[in-house]
Amino acid sequence: MSSMHLVSGSNSVRPLSSLREGARGRIVEVRLEDSGRVDRLLALGVTPGALVTVMQTFPGIVFLCDQTELAVERSVAATILVRPLEK
Amino acid sequence: MPCHLIHERAATAPRTLTLRARPLRIALVGQPNVGKSVVFGRLTGRYVTVSNYPGTTVAVTKGRSVVGAEVCDIVDTPGVNALDGTISEDERITRDVIASDNADLIVQIADARNIRRALMLTSQLAVFDKPMVLALNMIDEAWSRGVSIDAAALSAELGIPVVEMVAVEGRGLSELRDALASTARPDVPAHPHANDRAVWAHTLAERVRRTSTFSLAHVQEALAAATRRPVTGIPIFVAVLYALYLFVGVFGAQILVKLFEDDVFGRGINPASVWLVDHFIPVPLIRDFLVGQYGLITMGVTYSVAIVLPVVATFFLMFGFLEDSGYIPRLAIFCDRIFRVMGLNGKAVLPMVLGLGCDTMATMTTRILGTPKERLIAILLLALGIPCSAQLATIMGILGGISFAALATLFAVVLGQMFIVGWLAARVLTGDRSEFILELPPIRWPRLGNLLTKTRLRIWWYLGEAVPLFLVGTALLFVLDRIGALVVIAAAGRPIVTGLLGLPAETAQILVMGFLRRDYGAAGLFQLAHSGQLSGVQAVVALTVMTLFVPCVANFLMMVRERGLKTGLAILAVITPVAIFTGGGLNHVLHALGVRF
Repeated sequence: MSSMHLVSGSNSVRPLSSLREGARGRIVEVRLEDSGRVDRLLALGVTPGALVTVMQTFPGIVFLCDQTELAVERSVAATILVRPLEK
Repeated sequence: MPCHLIHERAATAPRTLTLRARPLRIALVGQPNVGKSVVFGRLTGRYVTVSNYPGTTVAVTKGRSVVGAEVCDIVDTPGVNALDGTISEDERITRDVIASDNADLIVQIADARNIRRALMLTSQLAVFDKPMVLALNMIDEAWSRGVSIDAAALSAELGIPVVEMVAVEGRGLSELRDALASTARPDVPAHPHANDRAVWAHTLAERVRRTSTFSLAHVQEALAAATRRPVTGIPIFVAVLYALYLFVGVFGAQILVKLFEDDVFGRGINPASVWLVDHFIPVPLIRDFLVGQYGLITMGVTYSVAIVLPVVATFFLMFGFLEDSGYIPRLAIFCDRIFRVMGLNGKAVLPMVLGLGCDTMATMTTRILGTPKERLIAILLLALGIPCSAQLATIMGILGGISFAALATLFAVVLGQMFIVGWLAARVLTGDRSEFILELPPIRWPRLGNLLTKTRLRIWWYLGEAVPLFLVGTALLFVLDRIGALVVIAAAGRPIVTGLLGLPAETAQILVMGFLRRDYGAAGLFQLAHSGQLSGVQAVVALTVMTLFVPCVANFLMMVRERGLKTGLAILAVITPVAIFTGGGLNHVLHALGVRF
């Protein structure tokens, strides 16, 4: 559950909060800092393997996960680790 | 529709519909905002409020329906994202229904687009080991966004009937009724861990779902983006408020109220009832009771129907439109940071905006919030600062006629007071704030049928709820006046009313009535202002105090029901002095500055 597979380079895993608008990626893991939050995100379909597209980064982060549009605060997006997809 | 599968299974599995001691209970369960209440309405013919945001239904509703040859009870439940782990209060309500014998049979309603999430819930429902049907609702929206699902394959994988529906149009409903006769217990491996469940749902969804990148919903998607981006979203918000002001504040509160108060009641109903009463009722006491200064007709009915009803009706119509469009949850993105200071998160915008319709209902909607502390703060702020539709009516009616600055002053003071109280409450109360995670519904063009039904039912509800209280209040005033108590109240209230607040002495009785229902008190102010007895500053001060009061007896009872008597009384004890002293402070500041409006 740690972030051991952080590798540098174009294919590296990054927190969703660091992605730019329009970026796409696949969720690798949701960090287990707070089990309540993980439960809620999981229930909304934010699970490893899901495809995400960042739609907006200010004032909050809005992203499309599969077919669900979600708005979250920055600290939540920081715990969602994503492997960006090349365009 | 995988008919052959269902028939095969029907032959082997025992049919669930047989003679029984009580009606079979069918629970409609599913994620928020997937259309459970629409299906409920279609099955039972009973309307429950349908809107386009998660959390419209926060309580259980029951209704009857004939399925096949027998009468069944249909149970509508609040939406659930999960049934285990960290769940909110409304989700707990649903879990209790499923676990109890209120659910002999479960119909899972799913948003066809979000089949992966739906399957995660299916897996949790399977643990209860009850016969199930899976209904893929909004299949038309899924198609228009390039998502299609192999229902037959899904049915085979899950071992339960799967039907495709467009519930708002009634499509797929007869298939659902048929499927209810051949339900089966789902054949799904147990996944105690949420992660395994997610992997299973993901794999299965990939197998039965085809997605393409095309979308026919470009207009909706562009609108959705425009409403949540600050550059376009803030002008849109201002435009929405302005439209609300024009439709409710000008058309409803001024044009329609004038029509009703002056023409329909002033020239029609009131003179006619005075004439009738004078001619047919010989007892002066009863005459006064009906058409006197505190008469049931001349005051009670006039206030509730002529002054409040037109504004409430226009507000409900506009509000229903906003609810069904999916716009309201998008405001949460802008509010999140401000709400954080008050110990809440952006999600609290839902109960707050709903409070503009009815604070009592909104108090119930706070169930969607994550923690007890958040619920308490939201309930407190609703009672303190959010004017309900009926009160908004009188505010707009009085201050709209004075000046825009008067209206702006009232809202600035009330919002400022909410902010201060919220900030203090966030620091004084123990407990946590939950993080902001909110699902945004798609932007949709509201359906006229739903809009009209909803508005009509809300108007009936208002008439049933508010008018009797207005009449009781008027009767009480009449009695108080007769026994001379009004004079005593006015004298007792003098230091506060005329001294601190700088209002005419008659306002004391109106403030007392404001305790019963603050819009009733406000309607009294409306008449006082209308007859030229209130200056601009007095109107603003009086309405500010009234707005900050606890909304009505019903709201107080709801607070007690949701949070207990102690908390209810504590909220009352906080709000009343805050209301009076804010009014006093405002009065002195306005006088010191020499403001006139």
